[in-house]
Amino acid sequence: MTRNIIEVSDLSVAYAHNPVIWHINLAVKANSRTAVVGPNGAGKSTLIKSIMNLNKPLSGKVEINGKKPKHALKNIAYVPQKGEVNWDFPTTVLDVVLMGRYVHKGWFKRMNKADVAAAMDALSTMKMEAFKDRQISELSGGQRQRVFLARAICHDADFYIMDEPLQGIDITTEKLIIDTIKALQAKGKSFLVVHHNLDTVEEYFDHVIILNKSVIAQGTIEEAWKKENIDKAYDDRSVTT
Amino acid sequence: MIDVLTSYTFLIVAIGTVILAFACGIVGTVSVIKGQSLIGDAIGHATFPGIIFAFMLVGVMETYTLALGAVIFGIFAFFTIQIITDSSKVTLDSALALILSSFFGLGMALKSYVQGHPGFSGTQGIDDYIFGQAAYMLRTDVYLIIIASVISLLLFMLFYSHIKIYVFDPIFSKSVGVNTGLMNFMILSMTIVLIAVGLKAVGAILIVNLLIAPGVIGLLWSNRFPMVLIIAGFSGAVSAFTGTYVSTVYAGFATGPSIILAMSILVLLSMVFGSKGLLHTHRKRNQGVVS
Repeated sequence: MTRNIIEVSDLSVAYAHNPVIWHINLAVKANSRTAVVGPNGAGKSTLIKSIMNLNKPLSGKVEINGKKPKHALKNIAYVPQKGEVNWDFPTTVLDVVLMGRYVHKGWFKRMNKADVAAAMDALSTMKMEAFKDRQISELSGGQRQRVFLARAICHDADFYIMDEPLQGIDITTEKLIIDTIKALQAKGKSFLVVHHNLDTVEEYFDHVIILNKSVIAQGTIEEAWKKENIDKAYDDRSVTT
Repeated sequence: MIDVLTSYTFLIVAIGTVILAFACGIVGTVSVIKGQSLIGDAIGHATFPGIIFAFMLVGVMETYTLALGAVIFGIFAFFTIQIITDSSKVTLDSALALILSSFFGLGMALKSYVQGHPGFSGTQGIDDYIFGQAAYMLRTDVYLIIIASVISLLLFMLFYSHIKIYVFDPIFSKSVGVNTGLMNFMILSMTIVLIAVGLKAVGAILIVNLLIAPGVIGLLWSNRFPMVLIIAGFSGAVSAFTGTYVSTVYAGFATGPSIILAMSILVLLSMVFGSKGLLHTHRKRNQGVVS
């Protein structure tokens, strides 16, 4: 029995008094590749943000490795949705990847050669070394996503949380990201990934959480990835718009 | 004309405007990158009635009191904008335009009242706060500018990494432990305080230019945040020196407009010749580098 890296109990979140997710109970296994799937508006990003301590839930609690999220952040590498970043910001690829080092260095120390070497390693894993001096606004969608994953690798956390990393990217990058996730899993890392393409769930992940306002099903792919569960999440017209 | 450069009064005033413009250039660049330039404009205009209220309360043009009045009204305006956008369907740009014009209108009405009222004396100086008149700056005005600018710059340097990550990627920054609420508050406070202390030099109407134009110039020359900040700071400083000089030598030139003219010339030149300006982009496009 593998231990749980995340435990969520009775979590409810509302925006402007409209409940977005309610009574969520779930567990994410350590060393798993867990997908979060559900229709638009199901509360996937909201769930991720609650786990990251980025919003204020109405009720319930989240534990990461048995600790409050606030105290576990060092151990989580977060890959944001593309729309959440200011793309006009004047910065280069290498600089973005180096941001992953701050949690380890402390804020008031300068980056040194070891930091740059770690960042370059991460970039080479994502096959982006040649772009290190490129302004981020000049990158394609797939290249941007590679840079974010490189930043997460540079962060060197045990647990990765990714919000739709495969949205709007090319096939080569998609394959590279999945291969990288699998390689990192082999090194003991865990993943929680918001995923939108139902056709690739079985191929890319070993655990799944099916969400639509509340948890419809969760567990290993064999246990939870069943037609009736998927239908239940996606066919309920009263919640999808 | 050259004599002016060695005159003690000119030097004091020039030091004030140059340091102010340097600090405004650096702090304002954050607003430019965040796409919030007009918030500074609304706050700038909204500080004007604060100046006059403060004057009405104490009856003299005293630097610190007037600056405090400006700060209070700047904060007041900011929260009014927040309340309007949060609690109604009025969009941010409409809220900004409303607050800018109504606060400034209030200021102009108060100014007419005060200047026409026999109970108040020495009211001519109020006009200096509309367009700025560096020549009439007192030594206390300059001290206040230096204190506010130096504190702002020190805070900015101390929290540089936090600010950088916060502006680029707010959610990630929160995830690595940046207090985003504090960063937002800090940038806003610096902006309001710099506006308040700079009013006499540049004026309520044009102060926004000191916050915005340098960042625009910096972004036209560099892809790197630290370099953008340095270019912004120095272009602000150069324009401030030039503008202060012109307005000191030629009677009748208000300082604000002179500084802004110098700044606008730099903006134009950067738009054409900057490494991310028109000529460069055009050349790159011809070489097929940029599609």
